[in-house]
Amino acid sequence: MNIDYSQEAPLIAGRLKLAQIEELIAKPMDTRPDRKYYIALSISVTALLIGAVSLGLTFYYGIGLWGNNQPVGWAFEIVNFVFWVGIGHAGTLISAILFLLRQKWRTGIARFAEAMTIFAVMCAGIFPAIHTGRPWLDGYLLPYPNQHGLWVNFTSPLLWDVFAVTTYFTVSLVFWYVGLIPDFGSLRDRTTSKIKKTIYSIFSLGWRHSNRHWSHYEKAYMLLAGFATPLVLSVHTIVSFDFAVSIIPGWHTTIFPPYFVAGAIFSGFAMVVTVLIFVRKIFDLQNIITIDHLEKMNKVILLTGMMVGYAYSMEFFIAWYSGVQAESFLFLTRAFGPYAWAYWIMISCNVLIPQLFWFRKIRRSVPLMLIIVIFVNVGMWFERFVITVTSLNRDFLPSSWAYFIPTLYDFGLLIGSFGLFFTLVILFTKSLPVVSISEVKAVADGAQPAHHGGAHHE
Amino acid sequence: MSEQNNGLNAANEDNTPHPNYWRSFESLYNDPTVIEAKAHEFKAGVTDDFSPSGLSSISRRKFIALLGASAALAGTSCTDYRDKGEIVPYNVKPEEITVGKPNYYASTCTACPNACGILIKTREGRPIKIDGNPDHPVNKGKICAKGQANILNLYDPERVKTPQKNIDSSFTEVSWKDADNEIITALGLADKGEIALISHTIVSPTMLKVIEDFKTKYPTTKLYSYELFNDSVKNSAWRKTHGSGNYPLLKWDEAKIILSLESDFLGTEENKVENSRMYSQNRDVDNKKFTRLYCADSSLTITGINSDYRLRIDPAAQLEFVLSLTNEIVQKGNITSAINASNYDLNSFAKKYNLDSKILNHLVSDLISNKGKSIITAGNALSENVHIAVNLLNDALGNKNLFRTDASSVTLVEHSAVGEFEELVQKMNNGSVAVIVNIDCNPVYHFAKDLGFEKALSKVPLSVTLTERFNETTAVTNYTLPLSHNFESWGDAQVRTNVISLQQPVISPIHKTRQKESIFLTWISGKSDSFTEYLYLSYLKNNWEKNIYPTLNSKINFEKFWLGALHDGIVETNSSAIVSGEINSGTFDLAKDEQRKSEGLTLIIKENYSLGDGRFAHNGWLQELPHPVSKATWDNYAALSEKTCKDFGLKDNDLIEVKVENRKLILPVFMQAGTADNVIVVESGYGRTNSGIVATGVGFNVNSLLSAKSDLSPWIYNNASITKTGDKYLVATTQEHHAFDDPLVQDLHIIRKIIQEGTVTQYLKNPSFIKENNTEQLPSVSNPYPYNGVKWGMAIDLNKCTGCGDCIVACDVENNIPVVGKDQVLKSREMQWLRIDRYYSGSPDNPKVSVQPMLCQHCDQAPCENVCPVVATTHSPDGLNQMTYNRCVGTRYCSNNCPYKVRRFNFYNFRDHFRDSYQENPILALMHNPEVTVRSRGVMEKCTFCVQRISEAKADATHQKRNLKGSDVTTACQDSCGSNAIYFGDINDKESEFYKYRNHELGYYVLEELNVKPNVTYIAKLRNIHSEEV
Repeated sequence: MNIDYSQEAPLIAGRLKLAQIEELIAKPMDTRPDRKYYIALSISVTALLIGAVSLGLTFYYGIGLWGNNQPVGWAFEIVNFVFWVGIGHAGTLISAILFLLRQKWRTGIARFAEAMTIFAVMCAGIFPAIHTGRPWLDGYLLPYPNQHGLWVNFTSPLLWDVFAVTTYFTVSLVFWYVGLIPDFGSLRDRTTSKIKKTIYSIFSLGWRHSNRHWSHYEKAYMLLAGFATPLVLSVHTIVSFDFAVSIIPGWHTTIFPPYFVAGAIFSGFAMVVTVLIFVRKIFDLQNIITIDHLEKMNKVILLTGMMVGYAYSMEFFIAWYSGVQAESFLFLTRAFGPYAWAYWIMISCNVLIPQLFWFRKIRRSVPLMLIIVIFVNVGMWFERFVITVTSLNRDFLPSSWAYFIPTLYDFGLLIGSFGLFFTLVILFTKSLPVVSISEVKAVADGAQPAHHGGAHHE
Repeated sequence: MSEQNNGLNAANEDNTPHPNYWRSFESLYNDPTVIEAKAHEFKAGVTDDFSPSGLSSISRRKFIALLGASAALAGTSCTDYRDKGEIVPYNVKPEEITVGKPNYYASTCTACPNACGILIKTREGRPIKIDGNPDHPVNKGKICAKGQANILNLYDPERVKTPQKNIDSSFTEVSWKDADNEIITALGLADKGEIALISHTIVSPTMLKVIEDFKTKYPTTKLYSYELFNDSVKNSAWRKTHGSGNYPLLKWDEAKIILSLESDFLGTEENKVENSRMYSQNRDVDNKKFTRLYCADSSLTITGINSDYRLRIDPAAQLEFVLSLTNEIVQKGNITSAINASNYDLNSFAKKYNLDSKILNHLVSDLISNKGKSIITAGNALSENVHIAVNLLNDALGNKNLFRTDASSVTLVEHSAVGEFEELVQKMNNGSVAVIVNIDCNPVYHFAKDLGFEKALSKVPLSVTLTERFNETTAVTNYTLPLSHNFESWGDAQVRTNVISLQQPVISPIHKTRQKESIFLTWISGKSDSFTEYLYLSYLKNNWEKNIYPTLNSKINFEKFWLGALHDGIVETNSSAIVSGEINSGTFDLAKDEQRKSEGLTLIIKENYSLGDGRFAHNGWLQELPHPVSKATWDNYAALSEKTCKDFGLKDNDLIEVKVENRKLILPVFMQAGTADNVIVVESGYGRTNSGIVATGVGFNVNSLLSAKSDLSPWIYNNASITKTGDKYLVATTQEHHAFDDPLVQDLHIIRKIIQEGTVTQYLKNPSFIKENNTEQLPSVSNPYPYNGVKWGMAIDLNKCTGCGDCIVACDVENNIPVVGKDQVLKSREMQWLRIDRYYSGSPDNPKVSVQPMLCQHCDQAPCENVCPVVATTHSPDGLNQMTYNRCVGTRYCSNNCPYKVRRFNFYNFRDHFRDSYQENPILALMHNPEVTVRSRGVMEKCTFCVQRISEAKADATHQKRNLKGSDVTTACQDSCGSNAIYFGDINDKESEFYKYRNHELGYYVLEELNVKPNVTYIAKLRNIHSEEV
């Protein structure tokens, strides 16, 4: 194969003109939704409603409707929370860290990944709020001055969670919105509908594509990227503290922060790939979200998958090496005890199956990668299940052990969270540009004419 | 122009504030009317004709009014879940009541025929807790689970509230007067037909006199009494060997060796409270006093799990066993026995039943070398022959030294023999019974079906059931007359020669109920309107004055005596044990009929620990009290050994049909470690068909396997068979059970040092052997809180704890713990704050069982506290781990992080959830301890070390201007513990009794290596076996 390494591979395929790019990206907003769109939307809304009904009944009767029991105080709701927070990691990683690292290939997928981050964090944020026994008192989790003179407990990791997740959500939302401002400007200029024009005008904050605007914008974007970068690492680190700070065998491990972050990026990328495969096909964005993009993401999945695999084996090693009986017992019981099935689903989905990405053909084959990333999604959900449930169901006193069996309501809420996520994604694809128009234009061929002779001069 | 300027200047010179902007000259010149007018929003009169109702529908005011109203309504209606109704204060304060202070009344418990003395705690006139009467010589301040839970019977919403007449199987409410009139008429006409009175054991001398009076008035009366589980076989055997009297009471506290044959003397037989106390005095680490308990029984019982050596023996082989043992002892010990057992050989018996000959050798040598200091006791269920053989063996060993001389049991009325009931049924069938009265008993449920009692009942012209709640018998009798509860009634009881106890009401009847004695007195008078509230009281008092007081040689006058007796609840009689004669001479030939029949299985029916014979089936607390061994709740089952299960291809929860002759019962299998092979063990009390919403349909009615023609005994049947039905039925247990051979989970409780045990020999050699392999105390990185004042702690002596679970019910009652129901137990969501953990080690056939009461350990470095995001669980300066229910949002993080898993979460509002909000009935609210918050849905809760009692003691100490002492407080579990295994007190009080246990050489903490610094110390159990290693 002859690859010219002296030149950067084009990030946009198909030699699209700048106007074509804008046309292509803005098309879903200019046209009316078709039948397929409504079918997709109705499926996801149905799922959302299943969740809403489950949630309503849960509020009415109490969380006794779930399968949680005496040793297993946390189950699906925390599994879902960690799962969705993890999904939310890809977006900021792609938009902030890759931005700072000058990875221009990120432009095609950044917007979408960021949107997914926000939607995933929304899904995640619901669970800590509804998992409490008395959700109507969730306000107690916020440090607000009150007549009781009561304050929150700053030593509790759950409280750190509240701060970490709300901060992450706020920063991600601002970052996403700031990135959208130039596109809002373009959309405002394109549209003929009066209502749309008003809305776009409001959100474009008077964007006039002026040089000054661009320079402010880029500075702001850079700053926000810098601001968001540590959050990528901090959020899942803090989520992992929920477990690591406790004294329960299987939870009380120092490897959790890096392991959770790697796992989060792993699952986040898998989810982004899963959804992008459909989006680029449906909206004809193959030229903007190219197979190269997908391949790069698959490489990240392969890398983080192995990091996760390393963490799994290291946990086992430390459990044995520490000589702590309860710890080594727990890891053996994970692999060979009553929840062995969940453990082996996790291992095969997260460690074994992604190894196929060593093959370039598989990395570049859309159907195969779709199958693999779906396995990764499943595997990462099970990873959280294994961590949460298997550690709790057999802890120190054998007298208190009990097997956790999920109920319909547990599944209802899980389905509902997917419903919420996909409903938001589907609505997003029709109301906002799924790819950043301005950024893609900036990396298109000929967008930034380079002067012969190298350095730019005044 | 200039004039204006002048004006301005003038204003300035006046030094009056002048407006920058002015609207009129009046304003400019500060006319007082303008200033006045400015103070009002509207000009006078402008608002006069303003009327909100006249405004258009969307006026601003109306809108705001509606907004305010709807916000207020929304706000108030959403707080409804906290609304518990009005609180009504006393208008006139009753003399004996101080609001907030409990009153205690001595009385007698009628929950079973043991008639223990009780102290009833009342608050504002409501009984809320039962404790044992400390002055009572039998139970000495302790009371069993049934006695504690009896409080729920009082407030049971399903009590019969008015007299009911059953017309064509539908009940109609009738007045007492009408019912009495009809019954009196029928009684009066019964001059030829028999009036049959059926009762449980009668323990009240005055009740007996009432019945005698009744007999005088209605001469055709015949009294029948029965008890499903009784010691009649034991007593009749005693009379055969010793001539007269009852089987004597035993000195459990002095026996060096106890051999229990199918006897559960620590569980269901005799008075378990007394037995546990006496037995545990004999397992005293401090006085280095250790009995050795051998058990030879068919299934694991409380006695069995406490034994030092256990042999699994088919109940049908017990006679063979006793005779073989006798022969061995006679031969080896140079002892003569009145029985010729030379045909029986212990070695071949051991081989036949696969018994450990080492244990048998120990047993034989122990019995021989402890002549006169051992007890051999046979279970009530065993046949008369076994009892005779045991009596003879005890006699041969000189064990009558251990028969108590201070008291013996009293039988006021002998139970009727089966033959008498058969005769009764015959008479009922041929129409010669005119009236039948069931006195607080349930013969339709209890009697063997082949007796035909239920069918015969329809041929009796008038049948009356006196009862507290509807049952199987009320469904087929004409009248159901509601009885007052134990705590609403007067009475007396004598079950021991040395004491008579008094029963007094502590609340006036909640419903239109009467006590049974009053009903009989009304019938005796022949006039329905002769009933008064004090009818029986005056009769009782009169009887005492005439008949009982004179026998007591009291020096004080009767009135004083009576008030003193009521206050104390007991009267000591000065009479000691009825000494039975010497053993009858002559020989006994016992071998004629009893052999284990080789074909078929042996069925043994046992009394359930909590429900008894079914009398307590409607009591949710008792239904949910885990079985001491299997930890099953809400069900009975066929307990089978592992081998028997394998033989029949059965697994846990398989439904099987047990068949004896033509009697059948379908019930689930429970593979119970330690059960003898080829034996089916089923407990009674379940399968009630008409016992309200709590009990109906719970479990399986084992009485349908009973036969009037008893086999080996009324409770043991040969030739039972099992067929698998193929269906499944889930039995709810509070502990998972694991395969014995799973190497992953085997002996984890030992490996993790949850249970630490040793042997008596080991301890006597090296008293601090437990401490030797302790992990080193790690230095702390933070400064621990000093705890200078009182710091609460608990110590639990596992040598004394029998694992019975009475403390659990005591805790339930004290702390308003809800019943959650079988479905929630299946989901592992039981709410009991205190549980008894049971661990097995060894083989499934002969498991070694360890029990451990587990409750909040109130750790100094509690892992639950730092993870609560809202500071709902905190530590108090006196060392308590506290829960603030109001602050708790229910994240359950504390429970996850609790290594002892003692926290309990309200997954639902359990009061609302259980059986169609049965527990939300307002009458049950009367039962709550007002000092303990009733927890709502979504809140975490756990043991508080009875913080309400600590607060009360604190307030008392402050009031009396003295320092609070650790011994001022006892916890509910401690109060109820029959074997005195629980100690509570101040860790810092070096003088106290508790301090000794807190710092005991055998003391250890569970999961010590976690360094959470628990405040509950466990005293390691010592097994009194011949070797040094467990």
